[in-house]
Amino acid sequence: MSDGRQKHNRAWWLVLPVVVSVAFTAIIPLMTVVNYSVQDIFSPFDRIFVGLDWFRDVARDPEVRGALVRTLIFSAQVLLIEIPLGVLIAVCMPRRGWTVSVALVLVALPLLIPWNVVGTIWQIFARGDIGLGGWAVNKVVNFNYTLDSADAWITVLAMDVWHWTPLVVLLAYAGLRSIPDPYFQAAQIDGASAWATFRHIQLPRLRGVLTIAILLRFMDSFMIYTEPFVVTGGGPGNATSFLSILLSKIAVGQFDLGPAGAFSLLYFLIVQIVCYVFFTVLTRSGR
Amino acid sequence: MFDWMLWTTPTALVFAGIAALLLIMGVWARLSPPIARRGFLRIETDRGDRLYIGLISAAAFLVLWIAVTDLSMLLALGGALVLIVVIGRWG
Repeated sequence: MSDGRQKHNRAWWLVLPVVVSVAFTAIIPLMTVVNYSVQDIFSPFDRIFVGLDWFRDVARDPEVRGALVRTLIFSAQVLLIEIPLGVLIAVCMPRRGWTVSVALVLVALPLLIPWNVVGTIWQIFARGDIGLGGWAVNKVVNFNYTLDSADAWITVLAMDVWHWTPLVVLLAYAGLRSIPDPYFQAAQIDGASAWATFRHIQLPRLRGVLTIAILLRFMDSFMIYTEPFVVTGGGPGNATSFLSILLSKIAVGQFDLGPAGAFSLLYFLIVQIVCYVFFTVLTRSGR
Repeated sequence: MFDWMLWTTPTALVFAGIAALLLIMGVWARLSPPIARRGFLRIETDRGDRLYIGLISAAAFLVLWIAVTDLSMLLALGGALVLIVVIGRWG
């Protein structure tokens, strides 16, 4: 018994490389950000301790609050559209035959395109003069994402749905494929409708993959930067200036390391809280 | 070696505190393994979970405090400590 335990314990040393690399790439930089956030830094040799002043400034800044509200609304919309849409597409996808490969490749295509290229594609696609999408929409309603806030928002949202719904589809499809056939046969024998089959067999079995999908999509959409930066640059006005765009403006544009450090930590705290709540609700609600 | 991290005494104390907390929890787990139970949070947690929830809640409480009021941060710190204890004991 004690021998077995010792062997088991020794295996923990195998985790050491991960601990070292995480410390090197994440924990030490994060500690540095904490140090930045309580100082006014002119140079490494010329810095003043300011306590919690930057946190107070950032937490009370109307621009930051506006960006926070916009980012939360954007993430909520992304989840509300992409998760049901992704599951719907996955349910409708073929289960066997040569069409499976075709469908998978077609669905996965947007995922293979780099973020900034997605931005460039949509920047041109949504334009009224030379973009097919913008031109077609303009035939029905007036649409100009460089001038109208709502149009800019819709463009960024549509771009995210186009780019990332495939991830939800692939995860949900993998989850659906792992359900053994006897479940469906039993449902058929009981005369269950398609909706009942989905509600009582497929959906409960998707809990695990949907947890991952919701967490990934929340974190990615909450931290979205490249695509709106390329398409709208945060505009018009500040209609699409999300937290990450504002943060990079403060940190890289103005080089205000103190306020940017405080901002990053508040951002990090929100991501931690929301992810923990999602994770807890999704994994423990069934118990 | 770590000069480039621009350390200050208060942040060093905070991180030393966190490291000490981890160490204490580790030793405590060794001496008496944690048992999961249900409290007013209505989810199954062991004491490590409750410490994490307590710390995160305390951080959120401090941020809300600094965002809305000019009252002393010492009061907020007291409130945060009470929050950690309440979640740890009855959560």
